[in-house]
Amino acid sequence: MGEAVALNPSALRLSRPALLLGALLLPAALLCASRLAETLPVALWWAALLEQEGEGMAGAVFRHALLPRAAMALLCGAALALSGAILQQVLRNPIASPLTLGISSGAQLALGAAMLWAPSLIALSREAVALAGGAIALLLVAALSWRRGLAPAAVVLAGLVVSLTASALASALVLMNGEYLTSLLIWGAGSLAQAGWDPALALLPRLALAGAAAALLRRPLVLLGLDDASAKSLGLSLGLSRAVALGVAVWLAAAVVAEVGVIGFVGLGAPALARLTGVRGMGRMMAWSAAFGAALLWLADGFVQLAQGVRGDLLPTGAATAVLGAPILLWLIPRLGAGRPASNPAMGTALLRPWLLVVLLAAISPALIWLGLALGRGIQGWWLAAGAEWMELLPWRGPRLAAAMAAGAMLAASGTLLQRMTGNPMAGPEVLGLGAGAGFGLTLLLILVPAPGKVAQLLATGGGAALALAVLLLVARRGGLAPGRLVLAGVSLAAFFHALVAGFQATGDPRAVPLLGWITGSTSRLGPDDAQLACLLAVVLLPPLFFAGRLLALLPLGDGVASGLGLRPGAARLGLVIPAALLAGAATLIVGPLSFVGLMAPHLARMLGLRAPLAQLAGAILLGALVMGSADVLGRGLAFPFQLPAGLVAALIGGPYLMVLLARRDGGA
Amino acid sequence: MKLGIARRAAVLGTLALGARPAEAGTPRVAVTDWGLTETVLALGTTPVAAAELQGYAEWVREPEMPPGVADLGLRSEPNLELLHRTSPELVLATPQFAPFLPRLERVAPVATFATYTPDGNPLARSYDIIREIGRLLGREAAARTLLDRAGAAWTERAGQLSPLGARPLLVASFVDARHLRAYGGNSLFGATLSRLGVSNAWTAPTNFWGFATIPIERLAAVPDASFRIIQPLPPAARTSLQHNRLWQSLPAVRAGRVIMMPPCWAFGGLPSAMRFARLLSHG
Repeated sequence: MGEAVALNPSALRLSRPALLLGALLLPAALLCASRLAETLPVALWWAALLEQEGEGMAGAVFRHALLPRAAMALLCGAALALSGAILQQVLRNPIASPLTLGISSGAQLALGAAMLWAPSLIALSREAVALAGGAIALLLVAALSWRRGLAPAAVVLAGLVVSLTASALASALVLMNGEYLTSLLIWGAGSLAQAGWDPALALLPRLALAGAAAALLRRPLVLLGLDDASAKSLGLSLGLSRAVALGVAVWLAAAVVAEVGVIGFVGLGAPALARLTGVRGMGRMMAWSAAFGAALLWLADGFVQLAQGVRGDLLPTGAATAVLGAPILLWLIPRLGAGRPASNPAMGTALLRPWLLVVLLAAISPALIWLGLALGRGIQGWWLAAGAEWMELLPWRGPRLAAAMAAGAMLAASGTLLQRMTGNPMAGPEVLGLGAGAGFGLTLLLILVPAPGKVAQLLATGGGAALALAVLLLVARRGGLAPGRLVLAGVSLAAFFHALVAGFQATGDPRAVPLLGWITGSTSRLGPDDAQLACLLAVVLLPPLFFAGRLLALLPLGDGVASGLGLRPGAARLGLVIPAALLAGAATLIVGPLSFVGLMAPHLARMLGLRAPLAQLAGAILLGALVMGSADVLGRGLAFPFQLPAGLVAALIGGPYLMVLLARRDGGA
Repeated sequence: MKLGIARRAAVLGTLALGARPAEAGTPRVAVTDWGLTETVLALGTTPVAAAELQGYAEWVREPEMPPGVADLGLRSEPNLELLHRTSPELVLATPQFAPFLPRLERVAPVATFATYTPDGNPLARSYDIIREIGRLLGREAAARTLLDRAGAAWTERAGQLSPLGARPLLVASFVDARHLRAYGGNSLFGATLSRLGVSNAWTAPTNFWGFATIPIERLAAVPDASFRIIQPLPPAARTSLQHNRLWQSLPAVRAGRVIMMPPCWAFGGLPSAMRFARLLSHG
């Protein structure tokens, strides 16, 4: 195993793998047995197993629903964990998994698209469709990080970008096809309910085949864990082995998505558990990962069935694994190896007179705003309004544009603070879970308060974002905020909060209805009041940041340098945490948690040559406002008369743009 | 800044949309919800604008949408600019549009109607809604006729359904190959069943909208029921139900007590309830 997946000695204090596996399997088996006994008296189990037409309906539920469900939990868990273990080894990356590399999202997007536009493909083979989607996603990730030599941080950044873009596209599909919404929601949340043995019997040989392939690939996999030069000198065809191993991993993940939907965490958590309990050697690593994955998912599903009860509404297991798994992962992260230090991001060429560009950007903004207000689409296509028409349309187009731009500016500022504060090019309010935290705050408020006002909503989203950031910093503290560790913590946190929100949505509670518009980042509901509030917040929160230039310049250099120069890094960081969370919370309330603007705008500014902290901040703010504004304008017209939410459009603009950025030689993490 | 209808129509690029003459005494009405749309149409009024027309034709079916109605786009996110330019004199909405209310009110006066209330009966509510909308549109006579027709229909349908006897009905629709929505007593279908004197098999808890999302195995809890499955079936369920061992083991399926019903809107108003009753008695 490479240095990237090295283990902290302190982790060895934990129990041996068999002990932990037993500790997971025992309660899982008990939960399963009690559920079975609830349905059919134990005395009748044997008969129900043997007889073809035996104990009536209770026997049928026992045989065709409960037993295959348990089998499915074990098989899916093992398949995802094996997939994760292979991915982590091939990419020498402890945070690789089907979910973090975009494979699951890609597979899901492909299934959604095929369901709507090519149902015959789905009828032919769901698995092939999912496999194509997952493979395309992984190829994209590989292509984007190729020039960086598939370095762990670059791969994960590319995976995040691909995954978020695919999810945004899938959300757009869901939105445009409202009546299929429920099925896509259930599927995205991964329900393990079964109605026969077909899915389990389809997955079993696949898992066996993949397991055999993995066993054969054991030696090449060990070598792939070394650096390329040593592997080549040992006579290994790197490209082929890598491709075969990745193919197996994608196939496993896609087969699971095709059968039950997206189940998070297991692919990431099971190999981490195996590593933590001191498992060494490739063969043992894969076997133990699969065993832990099977046990984890079986246990999680046991809890889900317990919580659901006999009469309760549907609780999807995939969402529950994220809720159960994320805290375990957050606890694990400080115990994982720190990973390789990320190379200092060096993108673009520093401009000699950066402020000239900032002034230029500010100068052309009014013209762009005028254009944005004039551009629209009617029955006959795109057109520019002028004069009286322009004035007539202003009350409709103005407020939402203003609110969107203010939100974009705040997200960009938050992203710049986070990237500077953590010295991490992958940081952004969306990636680090601040957006999801804000969503959690909003959800709690909607549950607790009948019709919350704007200020209450703002406090809730701001509080949620702050909570997320606080947890994140606590978790990442031990590692000096190593990039990989921080992003892993952020992604886990985002998964956790998203799962809670998704679980509430899946209940069909009417209080969840406003959440859908919010999650996609809809701006059309915004009126003059909202625009005023958003602009006010931007005006109040943004200017003070420009007094923090010294902090923003010193913190990325690392704590040692910073304290050597007379800065107290802890206190300094705290001073930035609060504005970063407030900005993210305020912006997220307006445009939702999906948009990429907080991640993208600071990169954009740096690409344009704005590298001094304050110039970057100013440039990012302007660019963030312009990108979010364009997203609002485009969202009004792209699918006329249907309106696409601005947050979604921003993600769809931002995703591909970041991909181009990553693919460039000098780009990336 | 007000513009004349003709100017607006020119902005819009077509006269057919903006300038359709209203019936005498009936305000130009725009509707954001399918349930309210079917109600307006059933009162003999054509709205100037409604949402997701293609979906309406597929899921709600009747009354049929006449041509010339502007499509406002998504129900969850109506195109306000377009709505403004169809210059309605009245907008009908449900409480789910609360976030949009200030914006909608800028277009025209908004009347909000809730078919679903925490402990209400959606069918009884749909009666009230018909009367109120009839009054707002100046179609009181049409509303009275519709309510009389409904009253007569219940009696007639109940007679046709009496051969069902004591066997309870389970009304459900498939979400995917493994999950259904079962409609309970506080759903529009459930309320209609009880109005027809047919007992509803689904008595377990349901959500605010009157349905529960359940895996197939939960249908084992209603062994005596006959099933009425509302179409369309999702593609995944269409191909897999014949091979589905659990589905095939259900007493209703084994005894052939399953009838697939044509599409019928579960979250509609009185017209959908009457369509449901008619389709039920035909099956």
